Amino acid sequence: MSPIRVPSTLSGRVDWTFVGAVAGLVAIGTLAILSAANMTSYYNAIWTKHFIALALGGVLFTLTLAFNYQIFQDQSKIVYGVTLALMVSVLILGTAARGHRAWLRLGSFSFQPAELSRVLVVLVLADFLDRRARRMQDFSTVLLALAIAAPIMFLILKQPDFSTALTFLPMITGMLFCAGADPLQLIFVFGYGALTLSVPLVITLCQVRFPNAAPGSLPAFVIATSKMGLATLAVVVAIFGSCAVAWRLATWMRLQVKPVFFGALAVILSGALLTGVAVNRSMKSYQRNRFVAFVAPRSDAKGAAYNVIQSKVAVGSGGVWGKGLFSGTQSQLGFLPERHTDFIFSTIGEEMGFLGAGLVLGLYMIVLWRITTAARLARDRYGYLVCAGLASMFAFVMALNIGMCVGLMPVAGIPLPLISYGGSSLVINLWSLGIVANIYARRYALL
Amino acid sequence: MNHAGGGGRERLELVWLAISLIGAVLGLRLAQLQLKDAAEYRRLSDINSSLTIYQNAPRGRIYDREGREIATNQAASSLIFLPRKGQSVRDLEPLAQELGRRLNRDPQELLETLERADRDESAVRLAENLPRGTMFQLRELQTLYPGITLIDEARRYYPYGRFASHLLGFMGKMGPREWRERKAKGYRADSRIGKMGLEGAFEDELRGHDGGKRMEVDAQGRLKGELGSTPSEPGSNIYLTIDTAVQKAADGGLRKTATGRGAAVAIDPRTGEILAMSSLPDFDPNALLSTDPGEVKRSAQGLPEFNNAIAGAYPPGSTFKPIVGLAALNEGRITPSDAFFCPGRFELGSHTFLCWDHKGHKRISWIMGLAQSCDVYFYNLGLKTGGDRIERYARAFGLGAKTNVALRGEKAGHLFGPETRSRSKNKSWYDGDTLNLAIGQGELLVTPIQMAVVAAALANRGTVWRPHYTRKIIYADGRPDYVQRPERAAVVAAKDAAWDQVQEGLRVVISSGTGYPARIPGLVVSGKTGTAQNPHGEDHAWFITYAARPGEPASIAVAVLVENGGHGGVTAAPVAKKMILAYFGMPDPDAEREVREAERAAHRAVRAGLPAAAPKPMMSAGALR
Repeated sequence: MSPIRVPSTLSGRVDWTFVGAVAGLVAIGTLAILSAANMTSYYNAIWTKHFIALALGGVLFTLTLAFNYQIFQDQSKIVYGVTLALMVSVLILGTAARGHRAWLRLGSFSFQPAELSRVLVVLVLADFLDRRARRMQDFSTVLLALAIAAPIMFLILKQPDFSTALTFLPMITGMLFCAGADPLQLIFVFGYGALTLSVPLVITLCQVRFPNAAPGSLPAFVIATSKMGLATLAVVVAIFGSCAVAWRLATWMRLQVKPVFFGALAVILSGALLTGVAVNRSMKSYQRNRFVAFVAPRSDAKGAAYNVIQSKVAVGSGGVWGKGLFSGTQSQLGFLPERHTDFIFSTIGEEMGFLGAGLVLGLYMIVLWRITTAARLARDRYGYLVCAGLASMFAFVMALNIGMCVGLMPVAGIPLPLISYGGSSLVINLWSLGIVANIYARRYALL
Repeated sequence: MNHAGGGGRERLELVWLAISLIGAVLGLRLAQLQLKDAAEYRRLSDINSSLTIYQNAPRGRIYDREGREIATNQAASSLIFLPRKGQSVRDLEPLAQELGRRLNRDPQELLETLERADRDESAVRLAENLPRGTMFQLRELQTLYPGITLIDEARRYYPYGRFASHLLGFMGKMGPREWRERKAKGYRADSRIGKMGLEGAFEDELRGHDGGKRMEVDAQGRLKGELGSTPSEPGSNIYLTIDTAVQKAADGGLRKTATGRGAAVAIDPRTGEILAMSSLPDFDPNALLSTDPGEVKRSAQGLPEFNNAIAGAYPPGSTFKPIVGLAALNEGRITPSDAFFCPGRFELGSHTFLCWDHKGHKRISWIMGLAQSCDVYFYNLGLKTGGDRIERYARAFGLGAKTNVALRGEKAGHLFGPETRSRSKNKSWYDGDTLNLAIGQGELLVTPIQMAVVAAALANRGTVWRPHYTRKIIYADGRPDYVQRPERAAVVAAKDAAWDQVQEGLRVVISSGTGYPARIPGLVVSGKTGTAQNPHGEDHAWFITYAARPGEPASIAVAVLVENGGHGGVTAAPVAKKMILAYFGMPDPDAEREVREAERAAHRAVRAGLPAAAPKPMMSAGALR
């Protein structure tokens, strides 16, 4: 039995497939930015900033490889403190752009800390869940994990940046799941979240599709429910009633289900309904328009749905080979909104065709595959959880952004990591992937 | 520390499975958009980024019989608005205000046009045929308001202006119903179509294929460059049988009559070619294409669309008498020498029928009966011939039926006689009806073009032509030319002796009868006057005539009607005379006299130190040829 040959140098242990895939994504992203921002008047500023961020990200990626990632676990309290401080300071000192107070100015650089805080929360939660390894079945673990993330999410919501705050949820779920939390508990907690979000969606759908619903019909009842009145009360009573009936039924059928389950179900269902209605009432008009655009893209072809339609047209018209860099009519002539930021994937789809878009998707899948591999091979549970959290986060953000560009997801102002233009986003993502590379490179724990 | 191997890392595989599923879904969606539906999205993206600006094709030209253009095209600038994607309606308001000021139009109306273009996402013409000054002003606006563009295209132009207007027709916008019908034929909402006359009748031939420039536009509606263009193809050219000089004489002659309302038609009796067709009041077709919408509106509102020449039905009066005479002579009911006594009145039972000349014509036979248009003579003739025979001859001459000239809106008139009566409710035919028929009154109604065909048939001894005004059509698409051949509608069969007697009578009408004002030295002119009683007012003045150089067959036949013009010989005959003079290229003494008088008046005014109205230069008919 031959011993495992362990490379003696750090560079020999680095996952070059992963580095190559990341470099490939950044390269395609750079091309796409250079092409898409071509027609804007601040083109020079854009590519200058992009290359500075690229250099900075590359340096951070390499630097992160140099020291052991476990330092983040050791200094977890400081990391959490820094995160909170950043998010509080951005609300106090930050500069506002387009209604969002999301930017911190440091001299001539401005910096968006929300995405950094997301990665930092992954680090903090990984440490927490590592410590709670023996109490993973406790409901308190789930609640405490949420309690750690809650202040950060709350501060991001205050900016307000609904979309970024939303990306925390799958990330936390992924980490809790991978850490071994009880799936039923997760379903309760995140089922609650999902229900809360789906309530405004259903209400909006009814309002758009059946604006003149007859009184007494189901859509009319749904719309009435959104008014926090008698209809809402009726639904809550119905939920409790049916849960009670289900409980009686279960005992009658001698099923071994705890009565607590039915009580919890009733509380969660009605709670989700009430918070959902509350969210619906507090939604800003641009957010509601995005909901409308998603549930009925044709209803307002010149308003909110315009972006979705134009993005699909851009991607679809690219065909197999694309229209060529600098030649996409949708992006170059201004039909595609946010063409070098949120909708950059549509620019790639249009100008580089199925080959380019497929390549981006493929490279993304390689990156995610290498992150999960790093998780599998990580020398400790902390490294495993960090990788699991980052994999969940990147997968969700990718699904949200590309899904939006191809018309599968509602419009959310989320950039595509490594591709979209945005200096701080690029630097932070490269840094977080540097941590993944670090975890992989130091996988031989026993040596 | 909990190391690798424990801690449930198998759960990661579920997460990886979920990630793979997401990747697969996104990959399939990409394939659906970019591989399966790529062509459809490609089309949508092309629609987005390109706008076709149509350029009106030059319409086919219309020439007179000598190859002069009477309808042609001019280069003109049009103002186009290209809507921008995602534009809010509010942005259009300042543009509408600004354009309204510059083009002198109602901004509200402009705003509606702009909004419609924005809704349909299609280019729209805001103004056509812009004057040069306005054009330069609008060029400045192009920089302020993206989406405003000026293009060059062809526009219909009628060099003679107010000329044969009912025959030529005019160009106008389509109504909603016309637009629905023509949409499939490649017309656009702002296309103009030929209306009325031959612009309308030959719309399919005259219209060309509009060209277009495919322009690349950005999301702001700014033109980025030309992607390609399709040249316009002009329409087919039509050569007419119209004689410009005769037409001008007809239009001008009718305009100078007392009422200025009427019609004149000239036909070549040898071929059935229409030499002139005039209907007054007329209009200037150029005014309907003006840039100034006010002028277009005024012109369209007062447009005399009714073509009296083919759609006006009048009692023929005495111009019907040659037909009665031919029936009587050819059927042997009388001989030319048979004389009747005219005391100025005719008793039939308890009714008294008057002659137009109440003094009476005393003893009168065929030639003088026709020349003096003696009603009593024709009462006798009518009773001898019988209503049925007169009706048969009238029908043979084409009365009571359309001449089938290729124009929309022709009327058949009304033939009245024992046979027609037998088919109506009131079946009985009385001798009183025969008397009315014999002098072309009663229920008899004819159109000027029918009477021109009658005049031609009298001239050529019985050939009733289907009148036509096209000589040939030279198709733009390479089809063999269409060449119009004479079409015989009917032949009035009669003995030569009868024709001789009728034609002799018609000649004497001019040389020493009621048609004396139409005589022209050096030409053989024959004709018949008519003064048709009309229950609605003053008598209608009629004159039918044909003329020939001595020793040659007649080469022009004319029918002139002046509504409420009074006596045919006085009002209608001079118009016909002008037309005949123009046809033979002879100077018009009347016109020359008018010019001399105007000059004299001007001289007098100058000598008296008074401001003189500038003498209107009256071109003599001869100078036109």
